[in-house]
Amino acid sequence: MNNLNKYKDVFKECFNVTEDQLNETLVYNSIEEWDSVGHMAMVAELEDVFDIMLETDDVIEFSSYTIGIEILKKYDVEV
Amino acid sequence: MLLSGKVAVITGCNRGIGKAITTVFAKQGANIIACARKSTVEFESYLTNLQNETGVQITPVYFDISKEDEVKLAIKEIRKLFPTIDILVNNAGIAGDTIYQMTAMETLEEKMKVNFYGPFLLTQYIVKLMRKSTAASIVNITSIAADDSYKGMISYTVSKAAFNAFTKTVANELGSANIRVNAIAPGFTETDMVSNAVTNEEFLTQLQSHLALKRLARPEEIANSVLFLASDLSSYITGQILRVDGGFFND
Repeated sequence: MNNLNKYKDVFKECFNVTEDQLNETLVYNSIEEWDSVGHMAMVAELEDVFDIMLETDDVIEFSSYTIGIEILKKYDVEV
Repeated sequence: MLLSGKVAVITGCNRGIGKAITTVFAKQGANIIACARKSTVEFESYLTNLQNETGVQITPVYFDISKEDEVKLAIKEIRKLFPTIDILVNNAGIAGDTIYQMTAMETLEEKMKVNFYGPFLLTQYIVKLMRKSTAASIVNITSIAADDSYKGMISYTVSKAAFNAFTKTVANELGSANIRVNAIAPGFTETDMVSNAVTNEEFLTQLQSHLALKRLARPEEIANSVLFLASDLSSYITGQILRVDGGFFND
């Protein structure tokens, strides 16, 4: 599975969203599931899937589906 | 055994209360990541003997909790060892103090870094590793000094009071993730830290006269209280600061 599909799967699994919701409008708190608890679960899942450890500053900055893709580049994960 | 199969991260394992917690947890079946600032022959030997005696896995991880970079490296090491953590005991701390009007900002910063900022950061990362635990528990070692007033302990007291507030707030935030957060506030305990920090023998004698049990705590008595909060025996307790002080009544 390529990184994009892995990335999408994390969002689908953590936030119970569908493929068509995975775009720039998917941002923190835009859906009920993406609250602070959901955010930490998503971060932990990404860390597991890509074997990385996000810095706290990046956890805070990770405010949308698209920004997340940029943040992962810092950890040598090209989505 | 109360902690059979669980994985515990304990800081400040090389002496006093931390060493007692490590011993008690190992005897209760926990696999332990034993954190300390630096390796010594004595500490390594103690861990090896304890591991042989109990059959649990004990792995030392060395870092200075006051240094952010070292904490982050330690987390990476811990994550490689055990991707899921069940218990975190934030025990590492320093005492030794001055009266308020004679306290330099450096002294306050030093206490805050070791007693509060370091555990704050470590917990932030360990919580992410607790997500898959079925019964996660964080136990912070604070102090009765956070509630009581002792002249000449300003920076220590302030750092531990912050840790108590942290305990309650984080318990509130992490409850929905099924992570419990509590604190043990020990009274004066028979440790090197107390004997080094409290050089006034008269103070300790007078203090004990105010204690219902008329003696200082033994480290293993504090450790047993930590065991209670770390184990499933306290599964409905979170956000609490438990004083373990021998019954301190100022009469």
